[in-house]
Amino acid sequence: MDARHDLIERSVAPDASWIRPDIFSDEALYRLEQERIFGRCWLLLGHESQLPEPGSFFRTHMGEEPVLVTRTLEGEVRAFLNVCRHRGAQLCHEDRGVAKSFNCRYHGWAYACDGKLLAAPGEKQLYYGELDREEWGLIRVAQVESYKGLVFGNFDPDAPPLADYLGNMAWYLDILLDRRAGGTELLGVQRWRIPANWKIVAENHVGDEYHVGFTHGSQLTRPIESRAAPAPLAREIRPELGHGIGVDIIPEDLSPGERGGFDEEVNEYLRSIAGEMTERLGEMRPRLFPIHGLVFPTLGMVPILNSIRVIHPKGPNEIELWSYCMVDRDAPKRVKEILVQRSVSAFGPAGSFEQDDSANWTGVTRNTAGHQARKHRLNLSMGLGHEGEVDGLRGEVGLTASDINQRGFYLRWVQEMTGGQA
Amino acid sequence: MTLVDAQLLADLHFWYAREARLLDERRYDLWLETVDDAIRYQVPTRYLTAQADITDFGAWTVDRELAQASDVLLIDDDHAGISKRIERLQSGMAWAEMPPSITRRIVSNIEPGEAQEDGGIEVFSALLAFKSRGPDERSFLTAQRRDLLLPADGDFRLRRRLVIIDDTVLMGENLSIVL
Repeated sequence: MDARHDLIERSVAPDASWIRPDIFSDEALYRLEQERIFGRCWLLLGHESQLPEPGSFFRTHMGEEPVLVTRTLEGEVRAFLNVCRHRGAQLCHEDRGVAKSFNCRYHGWAYACDGKLLAAPGEKQLYYGELDREEWGLIRVAQVESYKGLVFGNFDPDAPPLADYLGNMAWYLDILLDRRAGGTELLGVQRWRIPANWKIVAENHVGDEYHVGFTHGSQLTRPIESRAAPAPLAREIRPELGHGIGVDIIPEDLSPGERGGFDEEVNEYLRSIAGEMTERLGEMRPRLFPIHGLVFPTLGMVPILNSIRVIHPKGPNEIELWSYCMVDRDAPKRVKEILVQRSVSAFGPAGSFEQDDSANWTGVTRNTAGHQARKHRLNLSMGLGHEGEVDGLRGEVGLTASDINQRGFYLRWVQEMTGGQA
Repeated sequence: MTLVDAQLLADLHFWYAREARLLDERRYDLWLETVDDAIRYQVPTRYLTAQADITDFGAWTVDRELAQASDVLLIDDDHAGISKRIERLQSGMAWAEMPPSITRRIVSNIEPGEAQEDGGIEVFSALLAFKSRGPDERSFLTAQRRDLLLPADGDFRLRRRLVIIDDTVLMGENLSIVL
């Protein structure tokens, strides 16, 4: 047991009923996360819709690593470190686009969309024809896999396949990704920096239904005294340790559109696809209304507002949040517009909900970093020992608002950080 | 060069200075009175883009960097949206603005553009917006505003505003103030 191992174990209670603030601010833990979490877990790169044609590319990050994602001329999706093999210069500087090849600006090494080294200036005269192009292609992200449109990458060649990693979470993701034959698409991305530790943001997405009544009080119409009470039939579900999703079970007398409070044009669309949804998802899942969720470690979701986001860590005290709108690809244009406008009004840096979230996350990060505050534990005990199962749902279930998924998140964090040891 | 009506320029300078002061003084109800019922207030996302032909510098326009039709924006408000934004600030539970940010909006480079068919005037300007909630929460941003102002009763009303922020990744923790 090294000192880092002690710090990991000391940071999270054995049952995760508490955590210590070191987990947010300790520099050594943060460095270890880059290796053990961001170096081994499946991370969202984007969506196939962002790569519409051969040569399409976009830049993103996996943990702190800059990554270039491409569609090869053969149509495959690949991901590479955005680093020239020659001297380590940044290879691609654009956020997105279409390219036949990528030329490094430093000395001119050129790479194909599949990462192969195409040419280096002076190969014959200066390298005497001895440069092995096969050896000096771009560094590939070890594994790249799609799940129903969403593209994930993993730096660990020995990591289990994506489907195993998602486990029961896939059954819930299908409610969003697989409800229509045409699948989904991601629209653009809002990007902004928040001076907050990534785990505070992740735990907020994975299971924090409790905060809604107070943090988002400016957006709720119910009187303040009833705001702490969870909405009836809401469930916090832990499909797998670390992943989490919050759903409403739509009452029989309400349509999904009525539950979501959509415009009539959207309700009409939802009615029109109800048959297709039942055919694809069965009877149970169309009655589940996903509200929030997280695929460990950093793929956040607010499906009730069509938002999918990646929490990119930028040091222990900062993140860059990338928030996309996700809509059914075959939805009518007008329905997409309404959903996007609705999403933007609530989420993103100017969103009526998310402005107040970011204020909380920065406050936790800043105010628990001190020597005195770090001595004291933070509480994650809500609903501990009251988890259960619900007929027809997969995974463990918190029967009301509960910290079940935050506990799962931190237990998974310990598991990954200690290399899978219990 | 086209000659500019000196009176128009003076009127615009006055209008923008007053608007900035109303917002900095948090007199949102008075500011809303300057906004047309048919307002569209948008802040696009912005991207570093690739050129198909790297020698075609003419193609490297600002507009190509902005959100395309299929892209999400940062703000996309109509009159109801912007009214809700103001109501939120006055709700007593808008924690990101409680206590409110101390702000300063500096508007310059005011340039009238084409007169529109309906009598409206397109106006370009540059915005420097500062906000602070103490030393841990301070941010600056600069942006271009592309507005459409409608003359009304010896005043102007804001019909359209596009705020083009000079960043691809927003560096403040949120956009909690009106730009």
